[in-house]
Amino acid sequence: MLRRIWAIALNTFREAARIRVLYGIIVLVAGANLLAIVLGQMSIHEEQRVARDIGLAGISLFGSLTAIFLGVFLLYTEVQRRTIHAIVSKPIERWEFVVGKYLGMAIVLTILVGLFAFAMAGMLTWQGVGVSSAVVKAVVLAWFEVLTVASIAIFFSSFSTPFLSGIFALAMWGLGRVTPDIQAAIENGSPWIKTTARVALEVVPDIHLFSPSGRIVEGATVTVHGDFVTWGYVGLASLHALGWIVGLLAIACLLFQRRDFA
Amino acid sequence: MSAASTDTVIDVRELRKTYRTPFRRKKVEALRGISFAVQRGHIFGFVGPNGAGKTTTIRTLMGLIRPTGGSATILGHTIPSRAARAKVGFLPESPYFYDYLTIGELLDLAGRLFGLDASTRKKRADALIERVGLGRARTQSLKKFSKGMLQRAGLAQALMNDPEVVVLDEPTSGLDPIGRKEVRDLILELREQGKTVLFSSHILTDIEAIADRVAIVARGSLQSIGTPAELVKRTVLGFDLKVRIAAEAAIDHLTAGASRVRRVADELAVTLGGDADIDAWLERAHAAGAKVIAVEPRHETLEDLFMRQIAGADSASAATEGRV
Repeated sequence: MLRRIWAIALNTFREAARIRVLYGIIVLVAGANLLAIVLGQMSIHEEQRVARDIGLAGISLFGSLTAIFLGVFLLYTEVQRRTIHAIVSKPIERWEFVVGKYLGMAIVLTILVGLFAFAMAGMLTWQGVGVSSAVVKAVVLAWFEVLTVASIAIFFSSFSTPFLSGIFALAMWGLGRVTPDIQAAIENGSPWIKTTARVALEVVPDIHLFSPSGRIVEGATVTVHGDFVTWGYVGLASLHALGWIVGLLAIACLLFQRRDFA
Repeated sequence: MSAASTDTVIDVRELRKTYRTPFRRKKVEALRGISFAVQRGHIFGFVGPNGAGKTTTIRTLMGLIRPTGGSATILGHTIPSRAARAKVGFLPESPYFYDYLTIGELLDLAGRLFGLDASTRKKRADALIERVGLGRARTQSLKKFSKGMLQRAGLAQALMNDPEVVVLDEPTSGLDPIGRKEVRDLILELREQGKTVLFSSHILTDIEAIADRVAIVARGSLQSIGTPAELVKRTVLGFDLKVRIAAEAAIDHLTAGASRVRRVADELAVTLGGDADIDAWLERAHAAGAKVIAVEPRHETLEDLFMRQIAGADSASAATEGRV
């Protein structure tokens, strides 16, 4: 079982590594880091803050967008191009195929997040800021955010077109990021608005957990520029991510199991 | 034939597949209760026009499509079955592969999915690449392969697991005459190795040349099944005669009652019906000073049977739709 999943994952990695858009995104992230340097110079003694904020935002934003892009296309193109016919007619379960695709994507995304983080570390070092443990924790959280977003995209891709999957995945990511803000906004709403919003928010992963900087955690405001979350928090957030990843992949596998490849 | 050679390898019973169109929910019956059995060591030809249900049947057997009704087994395993797929090699119709891979990488991927160890994968891949004549294209990516080369690559990946059963969907489609002959030879070689082959085609001469048994499908239903000899009538349907004429006057005598006449220079080709008196015709030809070049009885071919059955299926379907 693991050998088959690994075979699909390796092939997916090979496929994704050939997508030129990814190299464009790497260039964009490098550009964002350069922009952070320029903006830092323009600010008044806020170089460090600007550098960290833009660097981390770049990892989260570009990592998540890449996850959505890969998630909605890699599975769909297998069906569209019929390459899947020669694969699922082999002794492989369909769920192994879906998990293998996700794993291959996760490897690509991990390498990308690593490259983004490396570029940010270079930029921070150049700024004379250095890499604090808060930044390391923030990068780890961003990595889990990206992996969660990838599972959202692959979930929608298991039954929908890339266009719709992309829209759904973007919407879910956006909602997940502003869950606390929505909760705060509906406090004064009518009961049915509250109920509807609460139910809706229950089916969206709490992606805001992966970017806690500037939010109140356990009664205190945390920031990547000062007192940040503990490693215990990072562990719990990663468990939250794993729960969603496993759950979404399980549903994607069930849906994929029922599909006809005509 | 021994008892072992007659056991059933593929058993399809009342297989049905109905699709529904997305919005109007209109029913489209792709398979309407197809039943057939493929015996061990046989080459089984699956014939039908486009849209007959050949590919749907094969994809259902390979677990790509879920049947709406009926059942099927491969090597005793009810489909869809991973255990069955482990012993089956499959070439999809107009195969699409990852075009960034080389043939070696494609076969390695197939071998990994079949659970083969690295040394076996390497050994089999090397042998199959040579067997399908792609040795010179080893370093090329599949993107640069011609259609014929892709078909060969597809055949190679279908044989990576040294399968007991080989299922080939239109293996000769898009190939030139040499490529078709090579595929036919490969299928015959597989039978000699004791493998069972199910292959679909709408190239009837390919089927007639190599299949032990043939099933004709049209509009999702089985029309006929049997050996080519059982299916086509051995009675003489007509005669094709060719003579070299000495005088123009002889032409009227020789073409009377002919269903087809063709003349090229002094050669006259005449087709007569099965009930024609050939001896009397030959006497007339000799009397007119014509030299007889060829006399060939014409038997029914698989193509004749195919065309008749397809026409029958079409008219039956039209009648049914008319009643509805």
